[in-house]
Amino acid sequence: MSSLKRLVAGELKRLVRYKILPVSLATAILWIVLLLFLSESEAREAAPLIIFIDVAVMSILLLGASHHLEKQEGTIRSMLVMPVSPGQILAAKTISSMVLAVESVIITSVALFFIHGVTFNYILLLLFVAIAGAAHAGIGFVLSLRSKDFTSMLCLLIGYMFVFIIPSFLFRFGVIDAKYEWLLMISPPHSTNHLITSAVSGEFKSAFVIAGCLYLIILAAGLFKFAVYPMFKDNAVRG
Amino acid sequence: MGVVFNVENLSFKYPSAKDDTIKGITFDVLEGEIFGLLGPSGAGKSTIQKILIKLLEDYRGSIKYFGKDLKSLDNSFYEEIGVGFEMPVHFSKLTALENMKFFSGFYKKAADIQELMERVGLWEYRDLKVGEFSKGMKVRLNFVRAMLNNPRVLFLDEVTNGLDPKNARIIKDMIAEFRARGGTVFLTTHLMNDVEQLCDRIAFCVNGRLTETSTPRDLKIKYGKREVKVEYMVNGTTTSSTFPLDSIGFNDEFLQLLKTKEIETIHSGETSMEEIFIIVTGVELK
Repeated sequence: MSSLKRLVAGELKRLVRYKILPVSLATAILWIVLLLFLSESEAREAAPLIIFIDVAVMSILLLGASHHLEKQEGTIRSMLVMPVSPGQILAAKTISSMVLAVESVIITSVALFFIHGVTFNYILLLLFVAIAGAAHAGIGFVLSLRSKDFTSMLCLLIGYMFVFIIPSFLFRFGVIDAKYEWLLMISPPHSTNHLITSAVSGEFKSAFVIAGCLYLIILAAGLFKFAVYPMFKDNAVRG
Repeated sequence: MGVVFNVENLSFKYPSAKDDTIKGITFDVLEGEIFGLLGPSGAGKSTIQKILIKLLEDYRGSIKYFGKDLKSLDNSFYEEIGVGFEMPVHFSKLTALENMKFFSGFYKKAADIQELMERVGLWEYRDLKVGEFSKGMKVRLNFVRAMLNNPRVLFLDEVTNGLDPKNARIIKDMIAEFRARGGTVFLTTHLMNDVEQLCDRIAFCVNGRLTETSTPRDLKIKYGKREVKVEYMVNGTTTSSTFPLDSIGFNDEFLQLLKTKEIETIHSGETSMEEIFIIVTGVELK
């Protein structure tokens, strides 16, 4: 087994043991219960929001919880003296975080199909979730590495959501004119929401979808290269 | 005897610090020796260790590992070294055995986990979650973790801190056996017992500088009190006299005492490593 596979297997095992995967599953079950009380049209309307919360909020929360548990235990330092690179360790953590997002999306999609018969372009949705998941894993790492503990990470997350989600709400309620949506695409949650809504509704604005994908890919790459990687190593060494 | 680490004029500054933490130190670690780095908290011992194990890289000066520039070595460097951290470094929700199997899986030449855990008395607790371990058990597991890859060079930080005398003895025996098999040990500690019992050579580290590097024996000779203290009985009471060690065989008073009194103890003026540390560095160990 290659080192990366072994690292990912270890991450997934710990997601179960540290009750992070069960918490993610419990959230998915809550969504299913909610869907049971909605009509088909309401469920179709709510689906992008549910998936967005799983990809853009829950994945950051769970990644932060996992990071701060490992920080307390000093295990990252121990992993840095193994014959693996910090990049491989980060890749494994990112993959496990994306597994959480994909798992939620699959459960929600299956529930939507069986409860309301709602279907959508699953391949495209998974592609968008993978792209948005990677970008939000980067954001989750930055917030985790910038915070002393899980509580302060929550404060940072609330601040981040406040800054980036309020404009999206204002746009949704018509306070911000539609011609300014290009500017809103700079907001990672807005780009993510746009992509997910496109995949679920089947209504595509090609230029926005391409721009959203490219932006999130570039954001993920930039965050990992210039922020997450150096901060991760520095954080692990200092303990 | 080969040179494992050749460190020349090493300096290091943390990005957030105003001054250098390590200030131009030079030393060698020889193959097959136990090299002890002594110093009070904050002296720079852990920073030196972090540099040698490639956790900190932006240093100035030169470090050669078996003749090769340390900076040029890739991750395979970690196949050869074992690191025992002072703080516990295990997944608390996994069992001891799961932890060891996880870490062991990344090395090409893995040691026998059962043999190591049996030796430190943890095999019977292998299925217990590490979170339920006592501090001493975690310290012993740290040592097993360091030995998992049959390392060529072992880095140990305060290796017996928190252990009872019996378990400390077991770990020290294992370190001595590792050295006897040709292994090299870099030990950072403030525990003088470990130094006296284990180290072939020691270096004193204070404020990022090495003040003296020598063998424990040479240091004791250099800084020890050259005297002999004799305790003897006089009318049922213990009395003591001290004589200069030089030309003791010609000291009539001393010889007369041996012949005429009931001697209870005779000790040369041993100076403890802690006393030597204070003399050499002018700083008390904390």
